Amino acid sequence: MTMDMSRYLGLFISEASEHLEALGRDLVQLEREGSSSAVDSMFRHAHSVKGMASSMGFEPIAILAHRVEDLVDAVRQDRGRLDRDLVDLLLSASDTLLAQVRAVAEGRPPEDPAALLAQLGARVTAMTGHAPSATRVAKVTVLKSDGDGTGGDDPGGGGGASGSGSSGAGGASGAGSSGTGGSSGSGAAGAGGTSGTSPSGTGGSSGSGVSGPGGTSGTSPSGTGGSSGSGVSGPGGTSGTSPSGTGGSSGSGAAGVGGTSGTSLSGTSGSSGADSSGSARGHGPGASGASGVSGEGVSPGAVGAESRGASVGPVSTGEAGISGTGPPAASGVSSGSGDGASASGAPGSGAGVPPAAPRLSAPDASTGGTGASSGNLATGPVLADPASSRVVSELGHALKAASSGPLPGDAPEGRSTQRWAVRLRIAPTCQVPGVRAFLVHKRLTNLGTLLDLRPALEELKAGRIPDGYIQLELETSVGDTGIHASLKNVAEVEVVSVKPAIALPIALPVAPPAAEGARGATGDSSSRTVRVRTELLDYFLDTVGELMLATARLREVGKVLPETVRPALEEGVYRLHTLVKDLHDKVMTARMTPLSLITDRLPRAARDIARRKEREVDLVITGAEIELDRAILDELADPLLHLLRNCIDHGLESPEERLAAKKGPRGRVLVAVKRARDRVIIELEDDGRGMNPAKLKAAAVARGLLTPEAAARMTDREAFMLSCLPGVSTAKDVTDISGRGVGMDAVKRVVENVGGTLEIDSEPGRGTRFTLRLPLTVAVVHLLLVEVGEEVFGLPIAKVVGATEADGDALSRSRETALLPHGNSLLPVHALDMLVGVPAPARQGLRPFVVMEGDAGRVALGVDRLLGQEEVVLKPLSRPLDLLPGLSGVTILGSGRPVFILDVPRLLSA
Amino acid sequence: MRHVIFRVEKERYGLPLSAVREVVVPPERFTRVPRAPSAITGVMNLRGRVVTVVELRQLLGLPEGGTPQARVVLLDRGRRDLGLLVTDVDGIEAVERVSAAPGKLTPAIRGVARLGGLGVTVLDPEGLDAAVVALFTHSK
Repeated sequence: MTMDMSRYLGLFISEASEHLEALGRDLVQLEREGSSSAVDSMFRHAHSVKGMASSMGFEPIAILAHRVEDLVDAVRQDRGRLDRDLVDLLLSASDTLLAQVRAVAEGRPPEDPAALLAQLGARVTAMTGHAPSATRVAKVTVLKSDGDGTGGDDPGGGGGASGSGSSGAGGASGAGSSGTGGSSGSGAAGAGGTSGTSPSGTGGSSGSGVSGPGGTSGTSPSGTGGSSGSGVSGPGGTSGTSPSGTGGSSGSGAAGVGGTSGTSLSGTSGSSGADSSGSARGHGPGASGASGVSGEGVSPGAVGAESRGASVGPVSTGEAGISGTGPPAASGVSSGSGDGASASGAPGSGAGVPPAAPRLSAPDASTGGTGASSGNLATGPVLADPASSRVVSELGHALKAASSGPLPGDAPEGRSTQRWAVRLRIAPTCQVPGVRAFLVHKRLTNLGTLLDLRPALEELKAGRIPDGYIQLELETSVGDTGIHASLKNVAEVEVVSVKPAIALPIALPVAPPAAEGARGATGDSSSRTVRVRTELLDYFLDTVGELMLATARLREVGKVLPETVRPALEEGVYRLHTLVKDLHDKVMTARMTPLSLITDRLPRAARDIARRKEREVDLVITGAEIELDRAILDELADPLLHLLRNCIDHGLESPEERLAAKKGPRGRVLVAVKRARDRVIIELEDDGRGMNPAKLKAAAVARGLLTPEAAARMTDREAFMLSCLPGVSTAKDVTDISGRGVGMDAVKRVVENVGGTLEIDSEPGRGTRFTLRLPLTVAVVHLLLVEVGEEVFGLPIAKVVGATEADGDALSRSRETALLPHGNSLLPVHALDMLVGVPAPARQGLRPFVVMEGDAGRVALGVDRLLGQEEVVLKPLSRPLDLLPGLSGVTILGSGRPVFILDVPRLLSA
Repeated sequence: MRHVIFRVEKERYGLPLSAVREVVVPPERFTRVPRAPSAITGVMNLRGRVVTVVELRQLLGLPEGGTPQARVVLLDRGRRDLGLLVTDVDGIEAVERVSAAPGKLTPAIRGVARLGGLGVTVLDPEGLDAAVVALFTHSK
């Protein structure tokens, strides 16, 4: 059977990109701090990418990742090997990998970077003394293992599934097909099913359940070596290390392990998540993997036991069983696989579980050990059929596998109850489906504990059974044969499938022991996350915005209704309004994203810039966990990078100059994010030479942007803002990095377009600070509505200083421009009708003027009428309107009228 | 292929049915777009969406003259909400055999076809889209 890999392509792309970005970050961190955890984490990222790529059949990516892995491995053996050139080489390799992944995302084949590979290969040879080994890549079309088919449908299985994931792994491998396997899903366990052999070599990765991704990795045949996931959020794939993994999850994480061939790192430990990533790595195939180390420190329960017994034959698999539980059990049974994962968070559980560990069975599962089991499952197969491992099971399997999971045979059965997912169908011809269903229910409840019955019992009795399908989960000790037997003679009922169920519908990385048996209710909800495409969130926001507009429209319509009917409508509209508003809040919350999404890229950029300029810089970032609306974040990425460039390129002096100025040779750039009520403040500060206000003024005067008199009156702070005028730069030399005088204006524009402000403060010799004050969300803006001719326009209140009335003809003029006295200055006057190009009748006498902040000081806009303030939902401009300068958005008023929101500074300059 | 047939004054035009989302009656007044090229009639609110409406006459470079307002043909162009202001919509007809159009080539026009003994100019949806974007990028 061939399989459509495209379903996994999206996951591959997002996961691989994450791993690669993390790899780059780790490199920069490693170079700076030399911490060993960064090396281990880099290794895992490279290994994961290699595994994923090979299982997807992207050979060039897999090979390149393999080389990176080799080099990182060499560095891990001897830290002294890491020099600047190697970091450069590795960074360029990770950039190339990212480009390859991007190519895949765009439907192109990834490039084959021969030159880079040769360089990397040479380096590997130089460092290790032997030539790099070949990378084996799976064929993409893979045999499906039987078990999994179903998995797909098991709804519960879904994410949560993973929980079970465990089984996932099992499943996959179970299926025999591949050796690979191991992934386990969920939660936990990372089971390592690893087969050494598997071409891809992978270990089991485990993912975590919950979120898909993890799962993936789990799945991925190639998975990474022991990565384990963390249950929590997706990333899981990554390994045990993940701190977050912790806790229960880690349990999962833990398990990872596999002995994968050679490589793997092992997962670590269980419980607690300790971030231990111990890595065990076995080398060579035959070798067994080793040690599963579990993180020490781990919770008592979890010990990483490594059993290598498993390793069957040629393959070597060593796996570390980590089971919290009795190791022996683990290994014994599952041959080594890591089953134990279980340990999970709760030490207790680990212990409690002992023999059972391997089992999926519900009880232990619930203990948090969810994942646990999987491990062994996974392995089972491996052992059983090393050869088959060559066949990589596809990604996916594991995901689904969940359901197919465990191989019933191999666990200590009978002693404990196990959970089964049962799917039944009442014949469509059945006259009394309700009765049949009730009968089924009754028989099954005699066997054990019935969980998660769908449809619910009430519905069943009433005969409301969509398409006749019933599904449920049953905890029982009679096994699948027992279930089949008891249903055999219920007429008109067909047993569609009976499969070992995953323990929890949702992987709960942290499952307190107390949660025993309570499905779903356990675990902390924050860990239950799903990945959603950002376009979907945009769509939600759009739709909610339209709902708000529709509600406003209804209210308007209601105003003309007779008194008799109006109250009822108004009440309805009010309720609708409240609901929509609430929904809007929720959608906005869902869009909040931590700033780390963009600040994580800064260290790498800082390194690159500093290296090119031969500066030394320490970049410190604080508060990156603070969240902002995704739309604002997207906009901010470039401006922040630009500011950083400015700081390093212009702000910081060369080491010699710094020493001469009695500063340390290394410059310091601080990026501090703070939350102040409904604003987020980002400060970017360097300790360089500072800005010279006099020079800025001179540059602006020279370019004709400012009169010498105005320059003389300017405060320093105002003068610093001159750097945001297009073309004003005091940089002596224009470099390829910055200094062309473009950029700061773009930064300011972006910040203002999202409703924020930019301030610059500087002290010569001491440094410069850029302060960005940003709203949390962009969607709602306050407008001053003005009328010009027959048109209505919105002006952002944030930029409005005030309004006044004057007789336009009586104003004094200077070079054709009318001047409006305001405070103790004269402001240039612009007629808004001329600015926007709409016809308006000539006006005599008094007319209103709106005073606004412009790029080069305040301006007065002549309008026909002030209509008042309004809070509106901003809609972004769609093509082709976004091509027009001077518009920052559009909104629809309650009357149904579309109104444009003007970007006055751009109107003036364009 | 089935096409929506509409008129600008007397001339008949066709667009593939699949490229047309719906046909609506224009509002009493459009909101004018600041600094937009003159071919842009304005924007209208269509059930909460802001639709940019272009006068087909000007887009195709026909001689000046008002379009007696009658219908807006909304193109189905993903999230781009674009409408064409036309005189009237005749209906949906099968158009086969499109041959090259006389006169100068523009990407917005795919060719001409015979329909019921009369000629109809067949428009190209992608070309129209590009023509609208070109209006904006050249007008500066």
